[in-house]
Amino acid sequence: MSVLDRKLARELVAARWLILAIILIIGVGVTCYVGMGSAYLNLTEAKARYYRRCRMADFWVELKKVPVAELDRLADLPGVAEIRPRIQFYSTVDVEGVEEPLNGLILSLPDRRRPIVNGVVIRRGSYFTGRRQNEVILNDAFARRHRLGPGQWVRLVLNNRRQELFIVGTAISSEFVYLLGPGSIVPDPEHFGVFYLKQSFAQEVFDFEGAANQVVGRLSPHARRRPREVLRRIEDRLAPYGVLHTAPLSDQPSNKYLSQEIAGLRSFGMIMPMIFLAVAALVLNVLLTRLAEQQRIVVGTLKALGYADSQVFGHFLKFGLAVGLAGGVLGCAGGYGTAEGMTYVYRFFFEFPRLENRFHSALQLSGLAISLLFAVLGSLRGAWSVLKLRPAEAMRPRPPKRGGRVFLERARWFWNRLSADWRMVLRDVVRSRVRTAAGVFAAMMGASVLVCGFMMMEATAYLVDFQFQWLLRSDLDVAFRHKRGEAALWEMRRMPGVDWAEPTLHVPCTFRHGPYEKKGAITGLAPGARLTVPRDRDANPIRVPPAGLAMSRTLAEILHLRRGDLLTIQPIEGLRRTRQVQVVQIADSYLGTIVYADIRWLSRLVGEELALTGVQTVIDPRPEKRRLLYRELKELPSLEAVTTRDDMVQSLKETLVATMWIFTGVFVAFAGIVFFGSVLNASLISLAERRREVATLRVLGYGPWRIGSLLLRESLIVTMIGTVLGMPVGYLYAELAAAAYESEMFRFPVVSSAGTWIWTLVLAVLFALAAYLVVQRNVHRMDWLEALQAKE
Amino acid sequence: MIEQRAAGGPILRLERVSKVFQMGEVAVEAVRDVSLEIYEGEMLVMVGPSGSGKTTILNILGGLDTVTSGRVWYRDQELTTFSPSELTRYRRETVGFVFQFYNLVPNLSARENVMVATELSPRPMDVDESLQLVGLQERLDHFPSQLSGGEQQRVAVARALAKNPEILLCDEPTGALDYVTGKRVLRLLVDLKGQLGKTIVLITHNGAIAPVADRVVRLRSGQVVEVRTNPEPGAPEEIVW
Ligand SMILES: Nc1ncnc2c1ncn2[C@@H]1O[C@H](COP(=O)(O)OP(=O)(O)OP(=O)(O)O)[C@@H](O)[C@H]1O
Ligand SMILES: [Mg+2]
Repeated sequence: MSVLDRKLARELVAARWLILAIILIIGVGVTCYVGMGSAYLNLTEAKARYYRRCRMADFWVELKKVPVAELDRLADLPGVAEIRPRIQFYSTVDVEGVEEPLNGLILSLPDRRRPIVNGVVIRRGSYFTGRRQNEVILNDAFARRHRLGPGQWVRLVLNNRRQELFIVGTAISSEFVYLLGPGSIVPDPEHFGVFYLKQSFAQEVFDFEGAANQVVGRLSPHARRRPREVLRRIEDRLAPYGVLHTAPLSDQPSNKYLSQEIAGLRSFGMIMPMIFLAVAALVLNVLLTRLAEQQRIVVGTLKALGYADSQVFGHFLKFGLAVGLAGGVLGCAGGYGTAEGMTYVYRFFFEFPRLENRFHSALQLSGLAISLLFAVLGSLRGAWSVLKLRPAEAMRPRPPKRGGRVFLERARWFWNRLSADWRMVLRDVVRSRVRTAAGVFAAMMGASVLVCGFMMMEATAYLVDFQFQWLLRSDLDVAFRHKRGEAALWEMRRMPGVDWAEPTLHVPCTFRHGPYEKKGAITGLAPGARLTVPRDRDANPIRVPPAGLAMSRTLAEILHLRRGDLLTIQPIEGLRRTRQVQVVQIADSYLGTIVYADIRWLSRLVGEELALTGVQTVIDPRPEKRRLLYRELKELPSLEAVTTRDDMVQSLKETLVATMWIFTGVFVAFAGIVFFGSVLNASLISLAERRREVATLRVLGYGPWRIGSLLLRESLIVTMIGTVLGMPVGYLYAELAAAAYESEMFRFPVVSSAGTWIWTLVLAVLFALAAYLVVQRNVHRMDWLEALQAKE
Repeated sequence: MIEQRAAGGPILRLERVSKVFQMGEVAVEAVRDVSLEIYEGEMLVMVGPSGSGKTTILNILGGLDTVTSGRVWYRDQELTTFSPSELTRYRRETVGFVFQFYNLVPNLSARENVMVATELSPRPMDVDESLQLVGLQERLDHFPSQLSGGEQQRVAVARALAKNPEILLCDEPTGALDYVTGKRVLRLLVDLKGQLGKTIVLITHNGAIAPVADRVVRLRSGQVVEVRTNPEPGAPEEIVW
């Protein structure tokens, strides 16, 4: 090791607190980069592998009932590579020992195993055998949750008949990586499962001999880029059979959630690291500029001894590189750990055959390179300042800095009221321009991260409240397989434990407005309904108009509709008569594209007096009453789904809130490192620069605490300014994040309460105080007599 | 003129050199139109009051500073036209500096401070030997803050010696030394000149040192006011101050 490197090593050790702070900030940046990057790669690779393995479909088409022969001909359409007709139904499920009725999605699979579109991966047991007709394969998560497995029986209501099914195996499939039950936003394997039946058995029990009601298919690589064109052609071809819904892969819910998460990781995985690394570079810049200033004479001497400019420059750059390297290595390790944790969390939400955290060496290397790059950027100004220094000039001690007035002093009335201490503090803040700017910037970034983190947490809570406490207020909903009359409502009202019941009518429609077209559904509500209360932007209730629609903002935007505009609707089932209707109200919803209408008006639209497809209820919370109700509901074959919302909301809140706490914890920790690190740095540098002044103050009788308080005041001023400036930046991040995650299916609210702002301020102060404690320790330990004597 | 003893032609030559420092509005003329030749193998002593431009001239000779006007020659090469990298090589290989304020690197030990110079030099002396020459063999691993001013100055001398340069430029090398050590350092320099044929330029406030020199240059206000040749340079042991 050369002598200069030894010098460097000693300087690094001497400045260990300062550089530790910077190393941590860089470490956080690289941790974000490598962590999110790894999670991104883990998910992307797992997704690609899984989709390939299951031959994931490129499109889904849902229909009433179509002869398979007709569907098989779709394969001749240009762009269509492969199709599979299948049968799909929703059903209630009765599991031994579970009181409440559960819900299931029933799908058909070929009797014999062969490679198919949207195939399954068997986890336990086997594929169908030839032994029984009534064999079933369960999705693995549901089976695990209910301790079901091969060899056991499960009871489903299939086509109004209760059927005992024999479980041969459990499986997963790429189309259900993120498996959502009706009306939920997080997977709930406790209440919702997928049940695969033999094709022949499904045809038999549903009276679907030679027919199907869903087509999944794959496109040729060329057509894959524009799936909607092919879908339009398919729709035209199948129009006579009533196409309920078509979706390209990009609209398939599971894929959409997964892809959005991946996209989010990608953009946050770029933004977050840049924030931290920029802060680190700035703080390093302050440190290195100070170091270069302090070592002017050494620089001059080295040059006089014959060191080339580049050698001296390199020597200073190495200081930064060492810091960058340490931060980078720390970040790479931290990133690997973070990715491990994130992947662990993802396993709760996403079901893959294998989701593992791999060591991504290229990513790790680029993380290291980025940290070095930022370290070099941060060191450049300091190193540059020594590059051009001529030796003779460098060796002359610099004339003392001019101690002129600062602009604040011109505000006489203000300045004159200040104590001497405050004047010192303010002068230093104003004079050390670069240091103050770096401190303000660091605090801004720290605060913005905090605000953004808190706002996302609030948004999640708000979303759940909005959706499940203000908008949907029922305890238990039932959905009927077919349209029913008013009698079905009375039947539900008479059920034991039902305190209140309201009808709903679900009518799938095509909405058209000029060139814009969208498939969706209208939900009919009873006038003055209490269990579904549409809300406006400010969450105030909206009255559903007696005629016309109350449309969700998302759909209105897609169709370019405003309040009062007319549009055409065409029901997909039944008579399919086209109508002109008016958008009377705009409602807000964060999930899906919902349209509300008066139930009688809507009934008449489909040609009936009062039709309903579902009932929402308020039920008696006492367990014994519930048990009675559940027992009765299980006996009702006409039900397609029973949703117990209070359970769902409960588990939803638990899952979301738990995840958000983890993420917010991480955000707070990261922001804390930024605040702590930058304040520590600024104060220690300030202390070092002002050794003489401090020593003089000590001679004048200032105690160490009073000197510490000068530094504390300085850092609080800088931190406060930065925090306040950073708040709107954080708000902006939250808006950007919401925009990034926005889709037809899902919108993220942007909300902030006083708590967000207060907590950000409080935490900023706390972190600054924590750094101050270290600074105060240094003040106590400082040898001020030596400082007084030393000639610098 | 008497012939130059032991020496060949001039190794360094200042030709009408001026140096002006611009300090905002004020211009300080530190060196005014100085012409001076330094011969190979001689010991030249520069004396003069504080601020008379001694250090400035030394810096110019050592390639540490540029001139405002005039030319500087090292042998037959014009220093004033050197590129930065040529200047660096000149500093590295040709001259050794002893600074007025020692300029040791604070976080390097005595030995390491010498190594800083030897690591660059194409033909260095042994590090420990050079420190032994200045009587610091006991304090090799001490840091500057643990050394007295005189000891630091000796490290600075050892650092300049250890590079084994042709020319030694010493700015008050005995300024902080006590009588005995001061004489020892002087003896060392005289021996270096005598035995190894080094050229030495030495600045001092201390007129008593003048007798050991081959020539004495007296400066005042940036100008050479007198150049005196010592026909019989005395031994350092003979002088008193
Ligand atoms: N870099 C500089 N900028 C401005 N003025 C300078 C600079 N270097 C030297 N001077 C001025 O030039 C003049 C000569 O300085 P120099 O250091 O050469 O004197 P000196 O003879 O070495 O004095 P001393 O015996 O005190 O060391 C002085 O007035 C000094 O203030
Ligand atoms: Mg001088």
